[in-house]
Amino acid sequence: MAAQTHMATQAQPPRLVAPEGVSAASGSMFAEILWVAGRSLRKLTRNPMVLFFSLMTPVIWLVLFSQMFAKLFAQGASGGVALPYDYVAVMLPGVATMTTIQSASQSGFGMVADIESGFMDKFFVSPIRRSSVLSGKLLADGLRMAAQATLILLIAFFFKLVAGWRIPFATGILGAALLVVLTAAFGVAFSGLSNAVALRTKNTEATMMVSFSLTFPLLFLSTAMLPKGLLPGWVQAFSAVNPVSYLADASRDLILTGYDWAEVGSAAVAIVILGAILNGFAVSAFRAQGK
Amino acid sequence: MASKQQEPGAGADQSNGTGGDGAAIIAVQDLVKVYGGGHGPGRQEPVRALAGLGFSVKAGEFFGFLGPNGSGKTTSIRIITTLLAKTSGTVRVAGYDLEREPEAIRRVIGYTGQSIGVDGELTGRENLTLLGRLYHLPAATVKTRVEEVLTVLDLTEAANRPAYTYSGGMRRRLDLGSGLLHYPRILFLDEPTTGLDPQTRNAVWEYLRHLHKEQDMTIFLTTQYMEEADQLCQRLAIIDKGQIVAEGTPAQLKAEIGADVITVRIPRDAAFENARDRALALVRGIPTVKRAAVFDEGISVHAENGGATLLDIVRMMDAENLPIHHVALSHPSLDEVFLQHTGRAMRVEEVKPMSRMPFNRRRR
Ligand SMILES: Nc1ncnc2c1ncn2[C@@H]1O[C@H](COP(=O)(O)OP(=O)(O)O)[C@@H](O)[C@H]1O
Ligand SMILES: [Mg+2]
Repeated sequence: MAAQTHMATQAQPPRLVAPEGVSAASGSMFAEILWVAGRSLRKLTRNPMVLFFSLMTPVIWLVLFSQMFAKLFAQGASGGVALPYDYVAVMLPGVATMTTIQSASQSGFGMVADIESGFMDKFFVSPIRRSSVLSGKLLADGLRMAAQATLILLIAFFFKLVAGWRIPFATGILGAALLVVLTAAFGVAFSGLSNAVALRTKNTEATMMVSFSLTFPLLFLSTAMLPKGLLPGWVQAFSAVNPVSYLADASRDLILTGYDWAEVGSAAVAIVILGAILNGFAVSAFRAQGK
Repeated sequence: MASKQQEPGAGADQSNGTGGDGAAIIAVQDLVKVYGGGHGPGRQEPVRALAGLGFSVKAGEFFGFLGPNGSGKTTSIRIITTLLAKTSGTVRVAGYDLEREPEAIRRVIGYTGQSIGVDGELTGRENLTLLGRLYHLPAATVKTRVEEVLTVLDLTEAANRPAYTYSGGMRRRLDLGSGLLHYPRILFLDEPTTGLDPQTRNAVWEYLRHLHKEQDMTIFLTTQYMEEADQLCQRLAIIDKGQIVAEGTPAQLKAEIGADVITVRIPRDAAFENARDRALALVRGIPTVKRAAVFDEGISVHAENGGATLLDIVRMMDAENLPIHHVALSHPSLDEVFLQHTGRAMRVEEVKPMSRMPFNRRRR
C-alpha cells in the first residue's frame, strides 16, 4: 500500500464549507425509506448464492413431495375418488408460505450484522428518521419475499407445462399475484419477531434459535402442508389459532378452486393483527437502541 | 485558529450562546453514564462508565481524549454524538441541546466509530453515496462530493470494488470519508488509528492535521496512544475510570511534572512487593529526588539531574541486591503525566475488529 502514504499530501482535503445553499437538511421520509431499502436490495444482488439457495429448498420440497406422497394423498383425501389435481398443488401454497416464514425468521440477521459492524451507527448519526431504517428494511424484505413467492409459482408452472403436474391455478395470474402479495405481507408481519429478537439480543445465535424453533411447529401445526380435514384433531385445534393457517387456506383456494373472499379477508385480518403485534415488539426494541 | 467560517444553513452556535461560554462548540457538564442495572432476565450489574465528566471544546480546536481501554472514551463520544442515551448531565453541541435537538446535532457532526462501519458488500463509492444521501443533500451534490472524498482518501481506483476486498487501512479511510460527506463542522473520531500499521497511521495523522489546519474544522478524537495525542491535539483531557484526571495542552501537562522521570521496573516475582517498597524507601532518601511513587511494575521517580540520580538509584539498589528488570530515564512525556495522575502505567490494548462471522459474542 505505497499509495496510502501520500494520500494527504497529494490532494487537498475536501472543503469544509458547503457550497452556497447546500446543507444537510431534513426531507421526505419516503426518500429515506427508499435509500435504506435500496441498500438492502443491492446487497442481495451481491449475494446471488444466497438467493439461489433460498430457492433450492422450496424446489426440493415441491419435487420430493409431488413424487413421494402423491398416491398416499390421492387415496387419503378422496377415499379412492380421483382428484382433478396432484398433491403438489395442495403443497404449493404451503411451500410458498414456508419459504416466506423462513425468510422472515432470518430477517433479523442483517440487523445484527449492521449493529455489530457499526454500520447501523451510520444510520443513527445521520439525520434520517429512525423509523425509516426499520421501514426501509421491511420494504426490502417484503419485496424479496414477493420475488421468492413469484419464483416458486413460476417454477411450479414450469413443471405443469413440461412434466404435466396437475396444478389448477384456478384464479390465473391475478389470483397468483394476490397470493404473492398475501404471502409477502405475511412475511413482513412475521419478520417483526426476528427483528425484535435480533435487536434485543444483538446475537445471531439467539435470532437463529427463534427461527429454527418456530418455523417448523408453525408450519406443521397449520393447514399449510395438509388441508384441515386430513390433520389430527389436536393439530386442527391449534391450527385454528395459527395465523399461518389463514394464509395457507386463502392461498390454497386461490390455486385449487377460486376466489374465496371470506378466506382472503380473514387472512388479511390475521396478517394485520400479527404484523401489528410483532412489529410493535420490533419498533419498541428499535427505539430502545442506544438506551 | 479561532477564525470562524461562514456556514450557510448550519445552526446557531455562536450567537445564542445558551450553553455556557460562547466559544465552546462542545460543552459537557456532569456527564454520567451507568450501564445496565435494568430489570428482568437481561439484568446486569450496573457499570458506572462515566462518573461526572465536564469539559468543553472551543470552535476550531483539535481536542483529544486520552485514556486506556475501558476508561470511558467510547461511551463519552457515543453520548455526545447522539448514539447513546446519557444517565444524567448536560451536553451542548454547536449550540444545540443534546436532549431537545438531537437531529440538529446530527446535521452538523461527522462521526467515525471505533468499529469500522463500512458495508463490505457494497463498493466504496456505493457506501459513500448511500451515506451522503442520508443527509438529504441534492443528488448532484452528493455525486461530486463522493468523488471529492474518494480522491482525497486515495480510494478512487478501488472505488468500484466491494469494500470487503479492501485492506484494513483502506477500510479505515473509507470510514473516515463517510463522516465528511455532509460538510460537518465537528468531526468525532473514536480511536481512528487503533490497529493501523504505522505507515497508514502517519497518513491518517497528516490527513487530520490538514483537515484541521486548512479548514478550521473542530476535531474531537479519542486515543490510547500518547504519541497520537501529543502529535495531534492542541488540548487534551486524560480520562481514567470515567473521570477526567488532567486537562490542558500537551506542553502544560508535561510541564506539571517539572523534572526528569526515572522509571525502574522490578521483576514481578514473589519478592516484587517487598523489593518495590524497599526501593521506594531508598530512593526517597536521595536529595535530588522530588517525588517518588510506586506503580504496578515498579517505581517512578521525578528528579532533578536525572542522569546522576539514576546512577545513584542503581547503585543503591544493587548494594542491597534488589533485582532490577529495566531502568529508563526520560524527559516528561504524556506517559509520565498519565502515570502521575492514575498511579498506573498506560498500556495500549488493541481492540480486535469485530469479525464478520455470524457466531459472535454479544457486544453491547
Ligand atoms: N454496553 C455496556 N454494558 C455494560 N458496560 C459497558 C458497556 N459498554 C461499555 N461498558 C463499560 O464501560 C466502561 C467504559 O467503556 P468504553 O466507553 O468502551 O471505554 P473505552 O472506549 O475508553 O475503551 C468499561 O468499563 C466498559 O466495560
Ligand atoms: Mg473505546
